[in-house]
This record gives sequence, C-alpha cells and structure tokens, in this order.
Amino acid sequence: MGAAPTRIGQQDPELVERTGFSPEQINNLHKRFLQLSGNKDTISRENLNDIPALAYNPIKSQIIEAFFDKRNQHDSEVGSLEEITFQQFLMVMSHFRPPTLEMTAEEKEAMRKEKLRFLFNMHDTDGDGKITLEEYRKVVEELLSSGSIEQESAKEITDAAMLEVASTNVPHMGPEDFYEGITFEHFEQILKGLEMESRMHIRFLDTATVHCGKS
Amino acid sequence: MTACVTLKPHTKGKGTIRRSEPQFDMGDVIYFCRKGVESIIDDEVTKSFSAQELESWNLLTRSIRRFPHRGLRLTLLWGLGVLIRYGILLPLRVILAVTGIFLFVILSTSVGFLPNSKLRFFLGEKVHLMGYRFCVKSLTAFITYHNSENRPKNGSICVANHTTPLDVIILANDRCYSLVGQVHRGLLGLIQRAMVKSSPHIWFERAEVKDRHLVAKRLCDHAADKTKQPILIFPEGTCVNNTSVMMFKKGSFEIGCTIFPVAIKYDFRFGDAYWNSSKFGLVHHLLRIMSSWALVCSVWYLPPMNREEGEDAVQFAKRVKAALAAQAGLADLTWDGGLKRTKVKDAFKEEQQRLYSEILLKVHQTQKQEKCFEDETPEGD
Repeated sequence: MGAAPTRIGQQDPELVERTGFSPEQINNLHKRFLQLSGNKDTISRENLNDIPALAYNPIKSQIIEAFFDKRNQHDSEVGSLEEITFQQFLMVMSHFRPPTLEMTAEEKEAMRKEKLRFLFNMHDTDGDGKITLEEYRKVVEELLSSGSIEQESAKEITDAAMLEVASTNVPHMGPEDFYEGITFEHFEQILKGLEMESRMHIRFLDTATVHCGKS
Repeated sequence: MTACVTLKPHTKGKGTIRRSEPQFDMGDVIYFCRKGVESIIDDEVTKSFSAQELESWNLLTRSIRRFPHRGLRLTLLWGLGVLIRYGILLPLRVILAVTGIFLFVILSTSVGFLPNSKLRFFLGEKVHLMGYRFCVKSLTAFITYHNSENRPKNGSICVANHTTPLDVIILANDRCYSLVGQVHRGLLGLIQRAMVKSSPHIWFERAEVKDRHLVAKRLCDHAADKTKQPILIFPEGTCVNNTSVMMFKKGSFEIGCTIFPVAIKYDFRFGDAYWNSSKFGLVHHLLRIMSSWALVCSVWYLPPMNREEGEDAVQFAKRVKAALAAQAGLADLTWDGGLKRTKVKDAFKEEQQRLYSEILLKVHQTQKQEKCFEDETPEGD
C-alpha cells in the first residue's frame, strides 16, 4: 500500500488471466519483486540467495533453482534461465496460489496436477522426465544434515524409501533389476492420497495497511 | 527463529504391511518448499532495512518509487514544494549548521584550555548543549520528550534504538552524554577532537575496536565514575528503518551498571530519517534530511533497568529490547542487525537439517524395532 501503488495488476489483465492472482496480489508481489531485485527489472539467483530467512531452509538451493527452471514457466522447454523477469516470477508463484471456493472439480484437478508438476521438476534436476534413484537420494540428503547423522542411516532411509517407490510400480522387481526412475504418472500415483491443496499454497496477507506506531 | 519442524503423521496405510512410507519424505519436501516460498514473498529482515512506505504522498519524490502522474495540480504542488525546500529551507539550514559547528569547535577548544575544575566541566556542558541546540534548529527537528523524570543520570549507560547518526543530536539536545565510537578523519574527526577537549568521550582507534576487552574496560572505567555523564550506546550496531528493533548486542549489558533505555520514533510523513548506508553516504544523508520538510520525532525515557539475579547479559538485553519496542510501538525482532551486510551462517541451516534428521531417525528406529518384533517368534524378546 504505497502512496503511488504500482498499478501493474490493473495495467496487465493478461497476467491476471494467466496466473490466477488478483490485481492486488499482483501489485503486492510486484513491490516485493522490486525490493528483492533492488528496483531492477530482473532477479538473479544472488538476489534470492540473500534472503536471510531462506538461509534456514535445507532445500534452499532447490527452491531457488525452481524459480529459474524453464519447465515451471508452463512451456515445454527444458533448461534454466540466468535471470527472471516479473512475469516469469509470477508464473512460478502461481503454482502456490490457494484454491478458491469457486473452483470447479476440473480446475481443482488441474491445479493439483500443476503443483505435482512443480514438485516433480524440483526432484528431476536433469530434466529427462524421470526421477532417478540418484536424484531422489540427493533431495533426501539435502533434507538431512551432512554432519550429525551417520552416512549409513541416511543411506538406509533413502534406499528404503526408494525401494518402496520402486516396488509399487514394478511389484516383482528383483534386486538385480535396473530401475529406471519415477515418471510423472507414477509420481502422481504415489502422491495420490496426499492432500496437497492445503499444504502447498501461500497465504497472502490482506492488503490493508498495518499501523505500527503510537504517534 | 528456529522454524518448528512439525511433521504431520502420515497415517495412510497402503493396504500392504510395509515398514517405511516414502510419502513421509515427499510430504516433508512440500513443507520446506512452502516455507521457502513464503520467505521469498516476505521476510522480516529485508523489510527492516528498506525505507518505510507512506500511506499518502508527502510531496517528496524520494519516498516513493515512481512519480505519480495524477494531474497538473499535484505536479505544481510538488514543484512548489521543491522550490520551498531547496530554495528557502535548505540554505537557511545549512547556514545555521555551519555557524553552529564553527562556534562549537572554537568554544569547545577554548574551554579545553581551562584547568581541570568544576568551572571547566560546567562550561563544557553549556558549550555542548549550545552546539546541539544549533544542530537541532538547523534540522528543524521537532522533538517531544516523554517521561523526563526518567532522564538518564550520571554514571549509567543509556541505550537507544538506532535509525540515523542524528539520533545522537536528538538525544543530546536534552542532556549531555558521553559518546562512544570510532575515531574518524576529516570534518567529523575535527568535531570529535573538539568535543573531547571539553567533555569526556570515548573514541576508539580503528584497531582498538576489535579488542573487546579493551572496549569493555574503558566503558567500565567510565561508568564506574559516578560523576561522569551517562554513556550513550546503540546496541543494534547499525541503522534500522524505525519500524522494528533488531537484536541488541550484549556487550553493553555485561558491564553491570544501571541501564536507561530510551525509545526514539520518527514521524516519517515529514521526511524519512533512516540512513541506508549502502545507498548513500553521510553527507548525502544529511542533505536529504535538510531538504525534507522537517524532522519530527518522539523520545520516550523508560524507567531504569538493572540486571536481575540469575539473568545473563543476553536475557537482560532481550528484556530491555522488549520494553523499548513496546513503548515506541516497534516490532521486536530477534534478527541480528549485522545481516545488513553479511549472510546468515550455514550453521543455522545445518541446525534445521539436524532437527529434521533426528525426527526421521527416530521414526526409522521405531520402525526397525517394530519389524524386528514382528519377525521374532512370540517366545523371543
């Protein structure tokens, strides 16, 4: 709520259309974007790296990578960008918008698929459409610390999880069989019961100004 | 600051009796993902180091991001404002400031020639007060002092929140303090040397600042002398934008004498007082303040606080900070002001990882035990 609010939400109705945010939310996000980028038009990885609260997050680098991942732009391109514009920033954020009451069942399903896609892309770092054992292990290892937990336990946990995943797809896989990796459909299958809509969205604060000050 | 790692129990049987559930990994990724994106959208530290936002424009283009093209009348008003500020107010203020500093340096040095006596102390105080009053007039600062009965007494330490170097002038306008700081060069160094001639201040050489024992000792010695003026310290260590109070460094709270907290709150409708040292230097900052409308602020003197039994310096600092933030209506943050220039240490991320892995490990161990129990014959243990 600035004196001269950036009216980008109103000026660009296409953004509202494509991302599903309201014009006010877009304005607020734009302000935040400018704050992070230092009033420039693009954000680089450095800008996101500088956020102190993010430094606490074990999967910080994966999250930052997700912003620069081309696959999250709803294109079918693969690869990563060096810097992103506000439109691209919004596109990535749109994966986290909360479901609204007026959504139909198909829209909800589509949104769920989108969020799953985002998660899948975060695991599948080389972009070949499959999450291999290595890639999955990497994510789990990031969540666990490198120091205080023994390598054995970490490996055990990861392997157990991976075995579980593998066996749901190929029920009678023997120990010598080579498991290629989790495809997106399989990923969907695994997380079918998991309730994502309420877990994977961002709460946006109301845009009313908060008065702090006894003046 | 430690994010609570609470994992929701995944009570989702999959129909088969399996030991481990891969979902617990995937679901947890979602949790951290969301937390991460939330920090990207909004975090307390970045907010505290950028200038505040105004509700309605105060005709200063520096307070907003881009010029609001809302019509001819507004632009004319703004133009008029610019003329008044830069054509009338700024020159007057600069003249006042220059005269004030000039007079102060001369008078202070003269007082310094007097022999060490009560007269010198008395005159020294008067000269200092005169200098500060000149400065306040030159900034057109309108200061309201609340609770003057709690004004700091001699032989104590005064702590305040820090927004701009001018905080010193705001506070010293009311009574004399002993300042602590680094020795500078140039004009500021000249003023520092002049000040020290008529009143005891604690200036450190750059190399000495690193030596914490030396710093602590000098502060202690000064504070122990009950006739000396109170030491003015800003425990945040850096300028913050006056919407929040950041972590207080414990150094000044270890000394053990009475602490008088003082809260300063600026009314930023008349001009933003926050010094963003990475954006502009001191002279530029002074010019900005002098070309704003005015510097309006409130100063609250809080009752003195002492360290209680069984309380260590860190807890004492937190207590003082909470009282100060509550009085001025500022957010009480536990982040370190040093984050303005440095990054968070990896140790914090590792702490999160450790917490999470402990949980996983416990789950894993319990599951292993359960499996062993299932496998064992009933007669076994």
